[in-house]
Amino acid sequence: MTEPSPTQALRRSPIYRRHTGLQAQFEQTGKAILVSHYAEPSMEALLAANLGIADLSTLPRTGFKGAGALAWVASQGVKLPDQPNTAVLQTDGTMVAKLSHQELLVVSDLMATGSTVDHLNKQPEASQTYSLPRADSHSWLAITGGAAAEMFSKVCGVDLRTHKFAEGQVAQTSLAKINAVIVRHDLASTPCFYIFSDITSTEFLWDCLLDAMEEYQGVAIGVAALRTLAADR
Amino acid sequence: MKLLTCPLNGQRNISEFTYGGEYHPMPDPNTTNPRRWAEHVFFHDNAAGVVTEWWCHTASSFWFLAERNTITDQVIRTFDTSEIFNQRVDFVAPDIGSQS
Repeated sequence: MTEPSPTQALRRSPIYRRHTGLQAQFEQTGKAILVSHYAEPSMEALLAANLGIADLSTLPRTGFKGAGALAWVASQGVKLPDQPNTAVLQTDGTMVAKLSHQELLVVSDLMATGSTVDHLNKQPEASQTYSLPRADSHSWLAITGGAAAEMFSKVCGVDLRTHKFAEGQVAQTSLAKINAVIVRHDLASTPCFYIFSDITSTEFLWDCLLDAMEEYQGVAIGVAALRTLAADR
Repeated sequence: MKLLTCPLNGQRNISEFTYGGEYHPMPDPNTTNPRRWAEHVFFHDNAAGVVTEWWCHTASSFWFLAERNTITDQVIRTFDTSEIFNQRVDFVAPDIGSQS
């Protein structure tokens, strides 16, 4: 099987040049081209358990806003979080985060096998429901590992230590001076934080985070390492 | 660093917020006159003392209201806009004839 090119799919990552510069090996997951790994995959999973950064920007995601948005999404059979700034998982692995009383963010699982994002995007929306195409507006990075919270304390004002910021919690805040939505979504026992932020600033944020990670031996990792950690029970 | 409490996101650094001007109750569109309406849109009181102001948490684009003492810069409280804007206001523009 020939290895896919990072530019062959309809959607390419805003930072694919960074990945090719790091000699990434790419893979196809659903319709998305993702970085599978940079180094030897089993070694990368070990590094990711300490501190890693992955780019998931090509995976599906969407959002909805408006006075009728929550009721409409719920009517589509989607389980919603009770409180704003929390997230819940669907049975197909899709994560739904409630950003306010009138706004939802819906993101795919790591294998892109869930159907919720696709289903919601194809439905005609109800009144007072407006789509937020997050795949076009926001990049999606993941920070993994035990040293993640300490690294975040250098670039973020919110306390993301795991005993203060629980699994499924959401923080909408400033990260390296960039507005970001941070969601804690652990990979089995390894802390993991999804970051959604302005897609045009992705290279800046990627470089800032890698720089902040350097003192903790943090490295760029591929989605293969994330899946290994998620399966490690 | 100054801190401000967003009603949605909690306490955050002031650098995450944008000031949005004074809050004034909207005059009744059915009984007001153009002068009063222009004052509502363009004029500010700039009062010394406790005022109500618009603030936006930029990271989440969430607008809310704050009561702040402009003399001491003490924020008395911040609150959700639904406390004030809890019903729809419908009105029609008066017919002032053809503009052609």
